[in-house]
Amino acid sequence: MVESLFPKGTARFWTALLSILLAFAIGAVMIIVNGDNPILAYSTMIQSSLGSVNNLAATLAVATPLIFTGLSVAVAFRTGLDNIGSEGQLYMGAMAGALVGIYLKGLPTTVHITISILAGAIVGGLWGWIFGWLNVKLKVNLVVTTIMANYLGILFTSYLANYPFKPPRAPIGSTTFVQDSARLYRFFDSSTLNAGFLIALAMLVVYALFFNYTKFGFEWKTIGLNRFFARYIGMNIHRQMLWAMFASGGFAGIAGAVEVLGVQGRFVQNMSPGYGYDGILVALLAGNSAPGILAVSILFGALRIGGIGVEQVTNVPSELSSVLRAIIILLVAAQAVIFAFLKTRRKKHHELGSTVRS
Amino acid sequence: MTDIPMPLAIEMSGITKFYGNLAANDSIDLDVRVGEIHCLVGENGAGKTTLMNILYGLVHPDEGEIRIFGEPEHISNPMKASRLGIGMVHQHFKLVESYTVAENVILGQEPKKSLFIDRKAAYQITKDISAQYGLAVDPGALIQNLPVGVRQRVEILKTLYRGSKIIILDEPTAVLTPQETKDLFKTIGHLVEGGKTVVFITHKVKEVMAVADRVTVLRRGKRVGILERGNITETALTTMMVGREVMLEIDKKPKQLNGVLLRVNGLTAKGDRGNVVVKNVTFNCHRGEIVTIAGVEGNGQTELIEAITGLRKVLYGEVCINNENVANHSPAQVRAIGLAHVPADRISIGLCVKEKISENLIAGKHRSHTFQKGIFLDWKKIQEYSKKAVNDFDIRTPGCEELVQNLSGGNMQKVVLARELLFQSDLLVAVSPTRGVDVAAIEAIHQEILKARDSGRAILMVSTDLDEVLQLSDRILVMYNGEIVGEFDPKNTTREELGAYMIGARRQEKSTEAAVESVVTHG
Amino acid sequence: MNWEALFGPSVLEASLRIATPLLLAALGGAFTHHAGIFNIALEGMMLFGAFFAIVASYYTSNWVIAIAVTILVGMIIGLLYGVFTIHLKADFIVTGIAINVLGLGLTTYLLRALFHVKAGLQDARIAPFPDINFPFLNSLGSINEIFNDQSLFTYVSWILVVVLWLIFYRTPFGLHLRAAGEHPDALETAGVSLTKTRYIAAVCCGVLCALAGAHLSLGYLNQYVINVTSGRGFISMAAVLFGGGNPVIIILVSLLFGFAESMSIRFQGIGVPGYFALMIPYVVTILALVVWSIQKQQKLQQAESAPESLT
Repeated sequence: MVESLFPKGTARFWTALLSILLAFAIGAVMIIVNGDNPILAYSTMIQSSLGSVNNLAATLAVATPLIFTGLSVAVAFRTGLDNIGSEGQLYMGAMAGALVGIYLKGLPTTVHITISILAGAIVGGLWGWIFGWLNVKLKVNLVVTTIMANYLGILFTSYLANYPFKPPRAPIGSTTFVQDSARLYRFFDSSTLNAGFLIALAMLVVYALFFNYTKFGFEWKTIGLNRFFARYIGMNIHRQMLWAMFASGGFAGIAGAVEVLGVQGRFVQNMSPGYGYDGILVALLAGNSAPGILAVSILFGALRIGGIGVEQVTNVPSELSSVLRAIIILLVAAQAVIFAFLKTRRKKHHELGSTVRS
Repeated sequence: MTDIPMPLAIEMSGITKFYGNLAANDSIDLDVRVGEIHCLVGENGAGKTTLMNILYGLVHPDEGEIRIFGEPEHISNPMKASRLGIGMVHQHFKLVESYTVAENVILGQEPKKSLFIDRKAAYQITKDISAQYGLAVDPGALIQNLPVGVRQRVEILKTLYRGSKIIILDEPTAVLTPQETKDLFKTIGHLVEGGKTVVFITHKVKEVMAVADRVTVLRRGKRVGILERGNITETALTTMMVGREVMLEIDKKPKQLNGVLLRVNGLTAKGDRGNVVVKNVTFNCHRGEIVTIAGVEGNGQTELIEAITGLRKVLYGEVCINNENVANHSPAQVRAIGLAHVPADRISIGLCVKEKISENLIAGKHRSHTFQKGIFLDWKKIQEYSKKAVNDFDIRTPGCEELVQNLSGGNMQKVVLARELLFQSDLLVAVSPTRGVDVAAIEAIHQEILKARDSGRAILMVSTDLDEVLQLSDRILVMYNGEIVGEFDPKNTTREELGAYMIGARRQEKSTEAAVESVVTHG
Repeated sequence: MNWEALFGPSVLEASLRIATPLLLAALGGAFTHHAGIFNIALEGMMLFGAFFAIVASYYTSNWVIAIAVTILVGMIIGLLYGVFTIHLKADFIVTGIAINVLGLGLTTYLLRALFHVKAGLQDARIAPFPDINFPFLNSLGSINEIFNDQSLFTYVSWILVVVLWLIFYRTPFGLHLRAAGEHPDALETAGVSLTKTRYIAAVCCGVLCALAGAHLSLGYLNQYVINVTSGRGFISMAAVLFGGGNPVIIILVSLLFGFAESMSIRFQGIGVPGYFALMIPYVVTILALVVWSIQKQQKLQQAESAPESLT
């Protein structure tokens, strides 16, 4: 079970901040080695990701799918489920959303979009639920099966796009465009930022309300923190864990459907540059909290867009953002562990008795 | 008795070890002669494990000296202990299941043939040692296919392979069948014939009498006596182990029984290590009565309670609450019928320590209408409820929003008790309700339990604290080796009598009241 | 149906070639599997090897030095994984994913920063691993076509299967390694350092995965493309789990998976969707895990059920 990376509360925030700053410092070294000016690079990064309305829109557009996949992973991790399969669930949901968007005709926009996204959520949810069932009922390792499921989801949807649903004269691996009634509203002509972002914000609120204010959220949280206690106190842990897997896959499915309806307009194979995996990093950095997911998604979005901007102005490749992301996570993982280590040192002196007594 | 002092294998003098304010070992002396079988006995909390951990280098004493074969030694870690010739056979075996006997024996000191393991040599060495000490094993057998008794022999072989001269056995018969126990005693005889010295930790009187040359008895961290073969009697042992303190009276209303609520019939269950630890247990509990199961820890009490509360599989038998058989139902279902449960392990099972006090208090009740406002949880009501509970049960905390993990052990226990008592269930099962709780709070907890009993609920308690057992109970059942070996009225029994039953020195024939017809027939 | 094209010698020959990086990475994964430190970062480790091998060969035009560099890189990345999971006790999922992301990000970054290319590096300066010809096979027809003139590393990987089998099951180190995963306490009480054993496993895994990646770029494609491994690391992971870390089973499974991959290429060539062939490794792994779990459950149920006697 992936424990939340963080010690607690405010310490969590400072740990994250420190890791981000340290990562930028390491990045600066890399930039210098490359023969460029880190200050120029970073200021360009900030400017091109947050410096104008257009840029901000681009950042938020990239942040949108991350919010969904971040939620997907956060739901699972918080309930004690190691779902690494958001990427595959995203693709399955995307295809479902695309098909409903293509083949249902004559519906008012709100209805059409709702049904399409719902389809994405359900299919994505099922693609998570299956492996949750194998894990809960047969004790099959969830990490491995969901990693396998990623590739199965990607391959299967690529197959669908290239064979049964291949339109004539379309580029390889795409379906036809969805009906206009299924397109998500774009805020600006110059950017892909769409109403999906608002849906993401709504989902964040739902997530926060669910875990903090509902009895089911309380159960899921408790199951994630101490499964033995949950069972002892009378919670039906299997049933709740299965629902959690469905919800987790569902969020990832929505990510895919929104990408299709809001950005691409159709299903395109390999359209996700790893949103599912990034969702894992988002959830971990955010400590599974809703405001954290929002903040980290925007941060990652800014890194990605900023990285592209940096590449245009300097010689620094845009992959700098990937590198920074990975370093942040490694640093955070290490810090959390150092905190835990210090805490257990203190506890050990305290409690050396109770374990070794009599 | 000669006047020449016999050579000592182990000489521990004035060993003292404090954990916080508690002296786990208080100036203990222990001498073990070369070539003898020395038993170390005492109840849980007596200090045996700490003492042995010190001997084996897992723990360092605060005061005291140790001599091994006459030489003063500072045993800093188990590796050092091993080099000094001290070998330990733990209760939980450390064997790799998929390896053979020989592979487990030689692990870490493999005989080599150039770069590879010399498997023939390993096989032969294992065979030789086992023949030398009469430990029948097949060196080529896989551990996973071997019964517990044979696995234990492999553990002994491991110590012999490393040249141990002193072999410590930690409660070795806990997992053995009677036949295997007999074999073990034979093995110990062979070891001693081969010049080894054996230290045997146990709380079972029969075993002590069967093998010991000498016995050291510990109680509450001190050594209370040594007995020599010839002077070892059950009475002497019992008295030393359990003591003869004066009992404190407690104000208790006479019991008012109101029908049988819990009926346990022929209950049989397996433990975590695959052996049967609850053997055909039958008893009942009435409304308005406190029934306590007394016994030394490790005799099946925990597993019995787990079986009753739906946390462990029931192999045979029934558990009837309100005439409904709940054996093998889920914990949720058993609770729904009318059970509240204060578990043995309060931290890992009884609480979610990373959650708040209020959350822990309403867990299990969180679906009830009282705590909902529409589809959401009514945190205001929850906090009011929690505040009241914290006050009523005197839980020391800055607030209900505090995480449980920041509470002291005693206060954590109070949270569990508060929650479970507030279920107002027909049956309350409480395991060691006052363990780790400070003296002032023990009184309060006992009062709560009595209140529950007086209001007509049935209480099933498990306790290792004889004072608590004698003060609170209306009826006492002693459990030994997985069976109920005696039933007592606290007014008509003594610590010594209970102690004798707890260590297996005595047992009653099953009373007719308890022998209810078993519905399930055994194969 | 052109069966020759689907199952003939050229397909088998390609299968062996394709299977080699899978095999090498899986052998690396076997180390960490046995040691009890689950490694989902095979993919990232392979990428590091693939990239740095090409870089070394580019600058020195010498494949021997490329191998040396690859081994060094593998040791470093293995050590990194070890430090995080063993000493810092970081969660292995987090560390694994971080290394995968770092692998892809860093190699792409360096590719573009150092070589100013967009997507891949291909250059005459790059010296590939040589193919080896065994003269005694030359006259053996189909066998010659399949088994001869394979890359050096393909043959090395087969030898490694035997070597690793011996190491795992016949040497003291192997005994320690497997005990580290199965019952770490037993190892520690036997006086062997669990930490050291696991570190060695992590480093060996890093080296083998790096070599796997190197074979991919220098021995098979003779160029570096961004994300050249494209998920092979996870197929290797599947092969490890399938075989329970046994090198003999690993090579069989790797060959099967390599065959599936080359089949999918052939399928595409004759207009049949190759996707389903590509799915084989993943489906097969899931099925195997399910079957194992069912068996384990059955065994547990037997152990928990009524005993023969109550005494």
